[in-house]
Amino acid sequence: MNGWDGFLHGLSVATQPGVLIYCVLGVLLGTFVGVLPGIGAMATISLLLPITYYLSPEAALVMLAGVYYGSQYGGAVASILLRLPGTPQSAITTLDGYPLAQQGRAGVALFTSMISSFAGSMIGILVLILLSGALAQAAIAFGAAEYAAMMILGLVAASTVGAKHPAKSMAMVVLGLILGCVGTDVNSGEQRFIFGQTELMDGINLVALAMGLFGVAEVISNIRVAERTGVPPRVALRDFLPSRAELRRIPFPALRGASLGSFFGALPGTGSTISSFLAYATERRISRRSEQFGKGAIEGIAGPEAANNAAAISAFVPTLSLGIPGDPIMALMLGALVIHGVQPGPMMLDARPDMFWGLIASFGIGNLLLLVLNLPLIGIWVSMLRIPFRWLYPAILIFVSLGVYSVRGSSFDIFAVALIGVIGYALSLARFNPALLLLGFVLGPLIETNLRRALLIGRGDPMVFLQRPIAAAFILAAGALIVMAVVQVLRRRSTDAVETES
Amino acid sequence: MIISRRAALLGAAAMTLCKPALAQDATWPSQPQHVYVGFPAGSSPDLLARIVTEPLAEKLGQPIVIENKPGAGGVIGIQQMLNAQDQKNTFATTINGPLTTAPRLTPSLGYDVAEDIVPVTLIATSPLVLVVAADFPAEDLADFVQAAGKEPEALAYGSVGKGSGAHLTAELFSDRAGVEMLHIPFTSYAEVTTAIIGHEIDCGFMAPSAAMQYVEAGKVKILGITSATPFAQAPGVPVMAGQAGLPDDFRAELWNAFIAPAGTEAATVDTLSTHINAILADEAVQKRLLDMGWQAAGGSAEELQQRIAEDTKVWGAVLDRIDAKE
Repeated sequence: MNGWDGFLHGLSVATQPGVLIYCVLGVLLGTFVGVLPGIGAMATISLLLPITYYLSPEAALVMLAGVYYGSQYGGAVASILLRLPGTPQSAITTLDGYPLAQQGRAGVALFTSMISSFAGSMIGILVLILLSGALAQAAIAFGAAEYAAMMILGLVAASTVGAKHPAKSMAMVVLGLILGCVGTDVNSGEQRFIFGQTELMDGINLVALAMGLFGVAEVISNIRVAERTGVPPRVALRDFLPSRAELRRIPFPALRGASLGSFFGALPGTGSTISSFLAYATERRISRRSEQFGKGAIEGIAGPEAANNAAAISAFVPTLSLGIPGDPIMALMLGALVIHGVQPGPMMLDARPDMFWGLIASFGIGNLLLLVLNLPLIGIWVSMLRIPFRWLYPAILIFVSLGVYSVRGSSFDIFAVALIGVIGYALSLARFNPALLLLGFVLGPLIETNLRRALLIGRGDPMVFLQRPIAAAFILAAGALIVMAVVQVLRRRSTDAVETES
Repeated sequence: MIISRRAALLGAAAMTLCKPALAQDATWPSQPQHVYVGFPAGSSPDLLARIVTEPLAEKLGQPIVIENKPGAGGVIGIQQMLNAQDQKNTFATTINGPLTTAPRLTPSLGYDVAEDIVPVTLIATSPLVLVVAADFPAEDLADFVQAAGKEPEALAYGSVGKGSGAHLTAELFSDRAGVEMLHIPFTSYAEVTTAIIGHEIDCGFMAPSAAMQYVEAGKVKILGITSATPFAQAPGVPVMAGQAGLPDDFRAELWNAFIAPAGTEAATVDTLSTHINAILADEAVQKRLLDMGWQAAGGSAEELQQRIAEDTKVWGAVLDRIDAKE
């Protein structure tokens, strides 16, 4: 069965009433939990898991997957309206979405995010249909050296996200890298910076970090603002639809974001958080309006949102075709498949074509539903901003605590999120960019583990990174980016010098 | 922290003494029971716990709530069971690591296996299989040992982390077979398998359930199994013991057990052990466990106690050997 035949066959599975209804349920629930800061797909899927015993395997998986990609849509809503990322993947969307909302253009930002998310998902599905075999092969060809080289390129490329203050940006990335070191070192088994806390052995909880840095910190700073002004900022409800000029700024960033997302999502271990960061960095780098980034650039929403949705879809490639989960949520999905007697892996396409293609077809249907559902909801979401702070912020803090607790049932993580929130507030007062900290935190452990693993496998020879063609290409590209940046700085210096002279 | 908890335990024990013990036995279980699992929902240890606790709840006439407290290789689940301070209604299922090797590997363990934990019964065991790529130039264990013995670190093996069953089993194997292999730690069997298929590393010990489908797909082959007898889930795979210079008693198994906090009454432990052993004798339960790669085991609390002691010694010696190498 080739890709298209399979997809058509899958449509016949996914449109069965008994499956379709769970698809609708899944995406609805996903959007809802995505909007709530802290409570994400992870917690929801683990809660739903026992219930799926009573469903057919197809219906169960379609519903759980719907929660997963539905939450990506919802995640952007809180990022844009409240500067609280509903999910870590949408953290980067706060950078331009929130300024737009403050300018009274929340509707436009939400529209951009919805349309880009939809485009990203559709492209992701297309890639899945056409290339699932090839992507699975590529994932096997990616060894430790390739991952390390790719992550180094990613770090170099993305560290220009906050290029206005290079020293501050660097400080944030490095702090992120240090926080990423906390926990058990995979290579030596040593426990680092855990200060006797068993809870830290598996590292700092990503959700706690993201929610603390963005969510709690934002609540604290808003309490201050609210005291001064007394009334919440007025929000214009008109101008939902972007102008024609703004519309034109969506397709290309979305396309680029979707391609990046499809690729990174398919590689186990990289995931959608990183692809949204990289999409943002790419847009900022190539945009003619790079000065608008951080102040409400449409491209800064379109790129990352397309990327994280495309990645959410293509993350199913390694999970289904290799049995390798790309992130903890995929691991949970893998567990769900196993509960239902489906063993994901190289045999799945042959053994369970109904399941494989039914799931993929349901992605298409689910995303269409999400678009139809969410566009009319934009008005309702925007009206959320008119909820008085005294109700909204306590509610947010409760949801953040609930969400963080639900990841692994740990009250330690609630204290962690409170502490991180205070630190995040201090950082925001000093005008540091917490998104870069998150980037360092996500990329750091991946770089370190793979770098050391590649060296171990290469028996200590650093040339492994240049002898393997894919790895060498990444390293060269990273080198080229650094050279370009240096040249740019030097050139700017010389023009500055000329200007001062004249 | 340890002192305060022990003090609290003592306090709790003193309080139990004040009440008539018989009345308690008659009323237990009078409320929902909690079973802590140190792994996330949907993981293999979690599914195993659910398979066993579902019928157990029926037998006890009380619902059982599974408390997933993942982290630190299962240690957090046990810590949380002890923190709950309820020696009547909280229990745990755990893999072998937190009871055998964790005291060596986790400095801030916070519990003493002998003092703080009461064994109830073994639930199931799982052997490991030695996996190589399908085109690896060895047809049996003897070929493999020869290839590995050409020079130190001629072959590299993957594990799911330092101190994991896969790591310790490979080191035990190397020691008994008289070879030196290079250890490359990963974080999951799926990663190890991908690295083997992609020819990044040569081999790895893993659970049969993680390997079988890749065998069927023709991507990898299995050279032997670490159990004492052949394993139904890996048909046709030869037992390693006695082959290629390995001693006849060579055996390495992961296991999963039901435990209770110290202070749990003997009558409660007996009731639980009897029920769980009856559940494990059910063929339908055995099949569900086997599908996931677990061989139903059962046995008395004393047997579990003995198993903990034996494995602590065996794996302790392997850890000594690893420490000496570093």
